[in-house]
Amino acid sequence: MKEITILYKVFEDKTISWFQNKNEYAVLENTTAVILKKLNKGIPINEIAKTLSDELDVPLEKSINFVLELEKKFFPQENSEKLEIANNYKNAERPKDFEFIKYYKINDIVFKISFLSDKELSLVHPKFAHLVIDEVTDFQNEFEVFINHNDIFLYVNNVFIGSWDNCNIHYFQGKFSMELIQKIHQKEENDWLGVFHASAISNGEKSMLFLGDSGNGKSTSLALLQANGFTCLADDFVPVDAKKQEVYSFPAAISIKKSSLETLLPIYPELETTAEYNFKRLNKIVRYLKPNNNDFLAHLPCHDLVFIKYEKDAKLTCKKISKIDAFQQLVPDSWLSPKKENAQIFLDWFEGLNCYQLTYSNNEEMIKTVTEIFNNDL
Amino acid sequence: MKKQMKNTQDISRKDALKKIGSYGKYAALTAIGTYALLNPKKAQASSLSSPGTGFLNRIK
Repeated sequence: MKEITILYKVFEDKTISWFQNKNEYAVLENTTAVILKKLNKGIPINEIAKTLSDELDVPLEKSINFVLELEKKFFPQENSEKLEIANNYKNAERPKDFEFIKYYKINDIVFKISFLSDKELSLVHPKFAHLVIDEVTDFQNEFEVFINHNDIFLYVNNVFIGSWDNCNIHYFQGKFSMELIQKIHQKEENDWLGVFHASAISNGEKSMLFLGDSGNGKSTSLALLQANGFTCLADDFVPVDAKKQEVYSFPAAISIKKSSLETLLPIYPELETTAEYNFKRLNKIVRYLKPNNNDFLAHLPCHDLVFIKYEKDAKLTCKKISKIDAFQQLVPDSWLSPKKENAQIFLDWFEGLNCYQLTYSNNEEMIKTVTEIFNNDL
Repeated sequence: MKKQMKNTQDISRKDALKKIGSYGKYAALTAIGTYALLNPKKAQASSLSSPGTGFLNRIK
């Protein structure tokens, strides 16, 4: 059996392992992780099973079956098929004329983005409309977005980035956002630890991530906090770098669901007249709120992950939760770098985080609690 | 349907272990063989509530 690259990290009473061949994480009992280590080193199955049999006082035959099962599961002989999301269909002819050309200014960096029609425009523009400038003397980056034969194409500075079909539009949008942050922050894909589906705020010195299922109130909490002295760093797409494990600013607007308008209109009267978008299939109506961040180059350390939940009439509760639980919620919803060094950094970074579950209904109490978490007063 | 009631008389831990015999020992294997596999997303993605996931309608 050929040795594969596995990383191990003990959290609480479990071991988290990372498998490079599949960029996959596993939460294992410590004993099981030791068996995997031995298997990977090429120690004979009989020898591993004998130790296990003695340790657990189970028949050798049962231990052998157990170890064989683990080997089959974690060390498959054949590589599973690689899932390709981008089609890499490069042969489409690039249009000469684009119906919409927009210029977006992010700090001092100007992006020229060309959209073939209003369809392509609608896929990107609403979240960045607040960055549009009219008068342009120069631009530093040029993006082209066009649909051809049911695939959407992205070119950045004349380089083909990818094409995606109609079912993978969210991956096109993710790649677009990734290219944007790479140009803003002068980084390559391997320089990032991951991108988290979260909201990020800062108090000017450090940042905090809000996580949770869609509809739990991440963006609404972010909007409330940015009206109370905190800065919005990112909504929905939160990049963290590998070198210093800092949360980086992402300039998109905050998406506000119709159900949150009653809460937010008194604070943001401009939402009354803001364009509204209807996602029929998801039964969601959203408007976009400009982030209060005025430095999109900002990046700050993060020590706290907060799984936030707005619950009508709930009494505020804020408690530390197990890192294993937090890890299991975080990973499937994130893009994490497949690079070995970055996976190790991610595990080390995660080990140092405080993880909380915060449930609230009273906005003032939530803001007070977030302030306490920032000040380490909890 | 009539529910069949079984004898629920308490027994000692020792007796319980005797009753389940070797099955109790295999429970240790079941316990260490329980794991969770977690796959991060294969590429960066926007959340599905981002504008225009193929079904955008501007209504205002």
